[in-house]
Amino acid sequence: MSKIVGWISFLLAVGLFCLQMGYLVFHQNYHVEYVDYRLFYWINIICTLFLLIAILLLTRIRKMISCGIAGSVLLTMGILLMISDKPVNHIISLSPDGEQLLLLKENTDQQTATYYRTYYGILARPQQDRLNGTTGEFKVQWVANDIAVITYPTTSGSLQQFVATYGDRGSGYSYYHVEAEIYGTWQGPDIELIRDSEGLRIIENGEMEEFDAAHIRQFGTLAIVLEKDGEAVWTISLDETFQVDTDPSALKEGTISIYKATMEENEPVRLHHQNVQ
Amino acid sequence: MKYLLISIASVMVVAIMITAIIYYQEPTQVSLPEQPISEESDYADLVPQAVEVEDVISYSLQGDTLTVTFNKGKDWITVPVEKELLFTGEYSGNQQQLIEQSYLLSEERAAFLYAEQSDTGPQNILLISTTDQGKSWEKSLVVEQFPPLRFRKVDFVDDSFGYVILSGDRTMSQEYSSIFLSYDGGETWEEVNRPDVTRLVADGGFVDEQTGFVSFGILNPEEPSLYRTQDGGQNWQEAVFEMPDQYLPVFVQAEMPVKEDDHLTVLVNQGSSGDYDGGLVKGKFISEDQGETWQFVEEVEPDE
Repeated sequence: MSKIVGWISFLLAVGLFCLQMGYLVFHQNYHVEYVDYRLFYWINIICTLFLLIAILLLTRIRKMISCGIAGSVLLTMGILLMISDKPVNHIISLSPDGEQLLLLKENTDQQTATYYRTYYGILARPQQDRLNGTTGEFKVQWVANDIAVITYPTTSGSLQQFVATYGDRGSGYSYYHVEAEIYGTWQGPDIELIRDSEGLRIIENGEMEEFDAAHIRQFGTLAIVLEKDGEAVWTISLDETFQVDTDPSALKEGTISIYKATMEENEPVRLHHQNVQ
Repeated sequence: MKYLLISIASVMVVAIMITAIIYYQEPTQVSLPEQPISEESDYADLVPQAVEVEDVISYSLQGDTLTVTFNKGKDWITVPVEKELLFTGEYSGNQQQLIEQSYLLSEERAAFLYAEQSDTGPQNILLISTTDQGKSWEKSLVVEQFPPLRFRKVDFVDDSFGYVILSGDRTMSQEYSSIFLSYDGGETWEEVNRPDVTRLVADGGFVDEQTGFVSFGILNPEEPSLYRTQDGGQNWQEAVFEMPDQYLPVFVQAEMPVKEDDHLTVLVNQGSSGDYDGGLVKGKFISEDQGETWQFVEEVEPDE
């Protein structure tokens, strides 16, 4: 039994070792990073522990020697973990259904944050989206299982929103404009959204705000951010019940959500399609 | 066997220690492929997000200012145009890079399309350019009072002949488009006729003063829709693609044709929804009658 455990430990150690070597060799060329840069040290620690178990169970080397060598490796990893104070602030958030992982890495020296797509839970690749002028303060809100809104203040004092999207409401193969898909009037408690030939208007508690195309930024195929005076004001997203329809005048059964840009705690508001303008 | 095991374990332990120290000394993050950092470390702090166009020519949009360099970052010249005017209209990017095709940057000429609000409401479209590597800048009016921009493209075929293709006022999958030509190096622009099509513009351009193309269809096109002129934009006819049956629903969006020896070639891509062989393979077509008819040649990989 101990032999089996020993060999399994050895194989796991070799597997983790190969992962580490592969990472070191290929991560620059393929622009791949660990989700958290400290994972590299933690994997080394786990690899060393498996190796120690394998050596203890499969060989007759004195325990003192094995444990001494392993201890020194673990001590080195521990020290490197403690002193590796890279200026990186990780913003990690798991979607409500546990299917998606949001990852932003903020370089606190350069005051920029980079958006990453994650793979296999531990690897991540940077995307071209870069958030500038970040201050270390981020508020993450999942408005759907595949839409995360990141609200953050910038060094210039403005409030911005970035939307990470992981899904689609159409066939999954074609691009579409969210603004065009939400044609019509949408109603929620104390708030109304109207998208017609004159543009996009939000009426909240009787006060109306208008947004033209230059102040609407689309993210993926699931959300748009409405901006005013260089700041984000609202994020509008397509809920999971929403189905992209080729006929914009058709009454839509699904809902959309509207989420206000503020650093205070707030929840997205669900809007229902009312009629065709 | 035990000795082999111990040897392997020893090698692994040594490698773990060495690689951990190498990893510790690595820079913070992998740089983004889309936004290469300037290789000139002396200037990297000044322009950390330079976008390289050619080996020595690049631009930067940092600090809400458009700057260009013609000597690999030794000198950065500010382009006298407000950054936000370069992104006016229907644009959903992050303003970290210029809109593709809305500018050209070469040793001979740098030119940038932008929109300026007119007194009467709708925007004027202008081109700011330099032919002396930024010592002097010229602004020319392309068109007055153009509706909200979507597609924009500028290019010069030679020193004097250039073209601008604009589209805007999009409603769903329809929009307005216009074509402008310059025969004096971009000082003045004259509008020519456009194809009688209101689908979304995908690409376009001229290969010489007489022969031009506009490709339509972005939202789920089912076949290439390429219009050509043989008389400098006065008349337009739809080009005919002799598409093999197996590629009928595959290659659907024509890119800009180019001259190759004594004929024209064009790549036809799969549009945004293509999934044939990964979705990036394109069809190469050839025309020996100045773009009137196109014959399929081969499939090409996207980087060919």
